[in-house]
Amino acid sequence: MKSILSKRKILITAGTGGVGKTTLSASMGIRAAIEGRKVCVITIDPAKRLATSLGIDALGNEPTDLTHKLREALTAQGIQLPETASFSALMPDTRTTFESFLKSLTQNPATAETLFKNPLFQIFAREFSGANEYMAMQKLQFIHESGNYDCIILDTPPSRSTLEFLDAPKLLSQLFEANYIQWLIVPANKLASSAMRKVLGLLEKLMGAGFMGYMMEFVTVLFEVRAGFMDHLRRMIQLMESEEVGVVLVTGAHCDFSEELAHFRAHLEKHGLKLDGMVVNRTIGAYRDEGPQSPPPHESEFVSAVELLRNLKAREERGLRNLKKTVAGDSIDPQLMPELARDVHDFKDLVHIARRLDQCFG
Amino acid sequence: MSNSSQTRPSVKKLLSVPIIFVSGKGGVGKTAVSQAIARAKSKSGKKTLWVGFEDPTRPPGELRRVNKNLFELNCTAEEAFEEYMGIKLKVPGLGHLFSKNPLIRFLAKAGPGIHELVLLGKLWHERRNYDCIVADMPSTGFGLAMFHSIGNWSGIFRGGPLYQDSKGMLATFGNPEECGQLIVALPEEMPLRESLELEAFLLQLFPENPPGFLVNRLFPDVKKHAMARNVDVNPDQWPTPMAESIQDFALRRCLLEEHNLKTWREAQITIESLPWQRVYPESELKEFEQVVIGLEKQIAERGWL
Repeated sequence: MKSILSKRKILITAGTGGVGKTTLSASMGIRAAIEGRKVCVITIDPAKRLATSLGIDALGNEPTDLTHKLREALTAQGIQLPETASFSALMPDTRTTFESFLKSLTQNPATAETLFKNPLFQIFAREFSGANEYMAMQKLQFIHESGNYDCIILDTPPSRSTLEFLDAPKLLSQLFEANYIQWLIVPANKLASSAMRKVLGLLEKLMGAGFMGYMMEFVTVLFEVRAGFMDHLRRMIQLMESEEVGVVLVTGAHCDFSEELAHFRAHLEKHGLKLDGMVVNRTIGAYRDEGPQSPPPHESEFVSAVELLRNLKAREERGLRNLKKTVAGDSIDPQLMPELARDVHDFKDLVHIARRLDQCFG
Repeated sequence: MSNSSQTRPSVKKLLSVPIIFVSGKGGVGKTAVSQAIARAKSKSGKKTLWVGFEDPTRPPGELRRVNKNLFELNCTAEEAFEEYMGIKLKVPGLGHLFSKNPLIRFLAKAGPGIHELVLLGKLWHERRNYDCIVADMPSTGFGLAMFHSIGNWSGIFRGGPLYQDSKGMLATFGNPEECGQLIVALPEEMPLRESLELEAFLLQLFPENPPGFLVNRLFPDVKKHAMARNVDVNPDQWPTPMAESIQDFALRRCLLEEHNLKTWREAQITIESLPWQRVYPESELKEFEQVVIGLEKQIAERGWL
């Protein structure tokens, strides 16, 4: 972990929902702070887990400085936080970020207002599953460019598949693609085939009164901001492809993670991102077994519970063996982190976990 | 927004209706639980469709027959949209017009509200073809977006077949005799809290159809052993969030779950649960299949079907 952190300025934790990414991201940030870095942890986290685990009510759209709290927690465990270090966290609001992003792209404030009032846009901004991921990366860019931090950890939004955060910008950029747009904003365009005109006519019938009007308005405005958007996207891709950025894949213990890793890796390579490490989180295997005689056999329910855990541990081991076969001869050595015995409530708890990272990664 | 135990349906009641939505946070086991329910239903003689959404490992729109009574659908927006347009507009030969049409693909993938709406629309249309549909909903936020879309649509666009259908869907999904909302959670703080939030959202959309709850992966009860070893029953008092060993973990885990389930007890939810499933490496079945079969057995044992 220490070497991964020292190699990169920006680390992105990727993985599906429910694997403990947020706690891990915060712990990684703390680990970096202990090394004297100026850390910022960004989370897009609808369940506000990070705020809870940091022991505060809420995280805002801008970084909250928590250095003093971290210093206290470290001192209590006999660790000195270096003078150069700092620790901040934020939870960008996708909606706000997206709106200010769009505003910044249009020269004309009236254009932005039109868009915000458009009901399709409102649905889009709220529900589009790529928006969260894209805005997380947008915010990452803003924070990076601010120059206030030398270690930024982006905890990606919980997603169904690990690939979503990579695909999001592309999906969003498809919205801006001229191909689709020209058919919508210029339906009478001679270039549009009769087939396309038919499709448009049918869509009108299907969607109901007003839809096509709103759709055209939505698309027209997006068309205007295209250039600015594509420019942003290019800069973001440049950042992602640079040596400053690395990705840590986090998976859970009870899933077929070798396939997931293989897909994810291929996808990462395609996008020019670097995989720095992999954590198999929430494992039983990270704990030692007191031995075959523990617990004593007359405590049958307890024995059965321990047997269950051993069964889970064996499953993890099999998964890891498969994993090693899939990514054989590799620099990526998956590390096991333990399933926690209780939830994380404050910095002290995160410090315990951060120290455990060292044990795992070396 | 709270709800009393009198109005919340039991798991048995939820599993008795023709459409069952299995919802919950990511990682709680919705896929395994929903598949176990679908299998059990099909064995009881019901023609059953299990629906998953946007599975990248299967062909888009694929409908697979698993056995005599059990079918599986990989519901994807592009395919659903094309089919939907064909059905609603009754235009012959529509297929080729829309097939791979970039505008359709764009709308299906990113058309605000449309993407989610057609996914549910496809499921809703299939209800005529099956005795029972079990849907493995996308994790909390995304699953909810699907239901919101129906509400959005009928609020914004008047007239047109999509509007008609969205009203129809609201009616079906809002009717407790036609549709059951099963919220699955793990006995962990976050999933339990999120499940209550999900309940509140679903009640806003479907006030006549309160969801029911199921705890998955409940750890064996070894409380008395933990207490015999003087482990503090309050997990907040434990000095570190980690255990010492798997034996120590075994003792603490059930205390933690007991503590966490207080959230539900305070909300007056009757705790119905499914335990961890054992997996045997000697078996020729894949791990996931073993889990599903184990869950199916337990559903039957509890008399839920």
